[in-house]
Amino acid sequence: MKRYNKITPEGTKDVLFRECVVRRRVEDELASFFAARSYREVMTPGIEFYDVFEGLETGILPENMYKTTDQHGRLVVLRPDSTVPIARLAATRLQNLPRPIRLFYNHPVYRSNVQLTGRSDETDEFGIELLGASGLKADLEAISCAAEALERCVGRYRIEIGHADVFRSLARRLPVSEEVREDIRVAIESKNYAELSNLLDPLGDLPAAAAMRRLPRLFGGAEVFEEAAELMCGEDTLQTLGYLRTLYEALCRMGLSSEQVMVDLGLVQRNNYYTGVVFSAYVEDWGDAVLFGGRYDNLLENFGCPMPAVGFSVRVDAITGLRMMQEEPADVPDVLVHSDAGFEARGLQVLNKYAQKELRCDNSLFESREEARAYAETQGIKKIIFVSDEIEEVCL
Amino acid sequence: MRPLRIALTKGRLEEKTVELFERIGYDCTKVREKGRKLILPVGSGEIEVVLAKAADVLTYVEHGVCDMGVVGKDTILEHGGHFFEVLDLGFGRCRFALAAPSGCDFYAGYAAKTIASKYPNVARRFFEGKNMDIRVIRIEGSVELAPLLGLSDGIVDIVETGTTLKENGLAVVEDIVPISARLIVNAASMKLRKQEIEALTEKMEAEIAKKA
Repeated sequence: MKRYNKITPEGTKDVLFRECVVRRRVEDELASFFAARSYREVMTPGIEFYDVFEGLETGILPENMYKTTDQHGRLVVLRPDSTVPIARLAATRLQNLPRPIRLFYNHPVYRSNVQLTGRSDETDEFGIELLGASGLKADLEAISCAAEALERCVGRYRIEIGHADVFRSLARRLPVSEEVREDIRVAIESKNYAELSNLLDPLGDLPAAAAMRRLPRLFGGAEVFEEAAELMCGEDTLQTLGYLRTLYEALCRMGLSSEQVMVDLGLVQRNNYYTGVVFSAYVEDWGDAVLFGGRYDNLLENFGCPMPAVGFSVRVDAITGLRMMQEEPADVPDVLVHSDAGFEARGLQVLNKYAQKELRCDNSLFESREEARAYAETQGIKKIIFVSDEIEEVCL
Repeated sequence: MRPLRIALTKGRLEEKTVELFERIGYDCTKVREKGRKLILPVGSGEIEVVLAKAADVLTYVEHGVCDMGVVGKDTILEHGGHFFEVLDLGFGRCRFALAAPSGCDFYAGYAAKTIASKYPNVARRFFEGKNMDIRVIRIEGSVELAPLLGLSDGIVDIVETGTTLKENGLAVVEDIVPISARLIVNAASMKLRKQEIEALTEKMEAEIAKKA
């Protein structure tokens, strides 16, 4: 039998040196930013019961979850989503906490993707959830946090905002079955104009069908609202649109440019648990969104504690990949400390003193000074400290 | 900013797309005289064409190393993926169909059917829709051989005129879905380079409508 003892499973990888440094740096920046905005860190287990996710319309198919059983034969999964476990935690552990509750998390998420597509099965998500608050202020806080987080991590980004109710309120007005409605949603999500026409043509010239037809094309700046206002029908749709516009204008007033924020009324995310504003963000040189988020006011109800909530997660591995292209963190130690025979303890004392000065110190494990010097040269270390009776600094 | 990079499916779709580009005023001399090069400039450098196999067009676009792509709906249906499908280009028209030896009733009998196909996912999904259990065998070359040699009861394949089927004693049992060339766009590119992509798409769409 072939032993798979020297490789990692498909979709996973070892992370080494520079990538670790960059990733930790990104995580530290995000953690200190979220902490400064009064978000508190929580950790949920890597393994959850399958029941937590069952029937929740997370957009993650059961077959894409890594599953196993516990000792009692109960089905468990490796965390396939960030928000649902946090919702479970908030509903079961924090129901008596004064609201709003601000939480952040940093953990890997596991999904089994189609093989050989180059996608990772293990991705790192760093995100926030703002629970127990609804309305403009809360939505604005979440989106502005997303913008600021990206500003700090990558500099240039574009956030797009949409609203789950735009599609829902139009779909309600179409005389179609549940299945066809889902087909329409998929066609809009993939901006598949041809397929969307095929689905809507049989419905004739209903105003809702006409609006639906334009939906995937309604993305861009403030001009989108003008066009949408003429197309959309129904008090509820117009109200949703008005809310989105207020949000958009507030973000612009906050100083986000039209390069940084745009509207996409065709943003119908796969996660059906979203109930209000939805948003995602893109950056150059990355082929997919690096941030996903939205409002999910009905999710916590599933765990017996109804509470409005909004949140987002940043793909830390994507940000790390981008930052790897941009920066070159120092990888070479600053000094090598070599102690002659009999002075090992003193050598380590000296090394500690240098390390306290925030210098990167390498401890020489060689017998002779010549070997230590040769090692320093191959490693590119610029300074050697020789420790014996006296301490001698040699610059290379 | 780098030029808009468009992956074209090598062969007939590539030729048709180049014709379309020329009709809307892009100079495609470099593509016409490509030699063995696989990345070629179009127009005055604002577009770059990449030549690839059909399934690879999806991969390049999905990962965002190409902003757009031209690929058959057959490939999209078989491989799927996450990208925007913005335009039916109207050429490369054909259809997926289920075919079986002519004169025999494909659905007769209680034995589970065996289907040979180059498109196992399309075949499986079609029969799943009918709640029918079938066995799919992947064939790489001329699928028509499989029922002739007795390996399968039928085939799921692309049918254009039906001549090949007829000459091999097969007939269409049922059409599955019509196929044509599609223009696809990477999700991030669509958002970050909206103006350029929309301008190009609209020009292509107008030209297609004019011809039709």
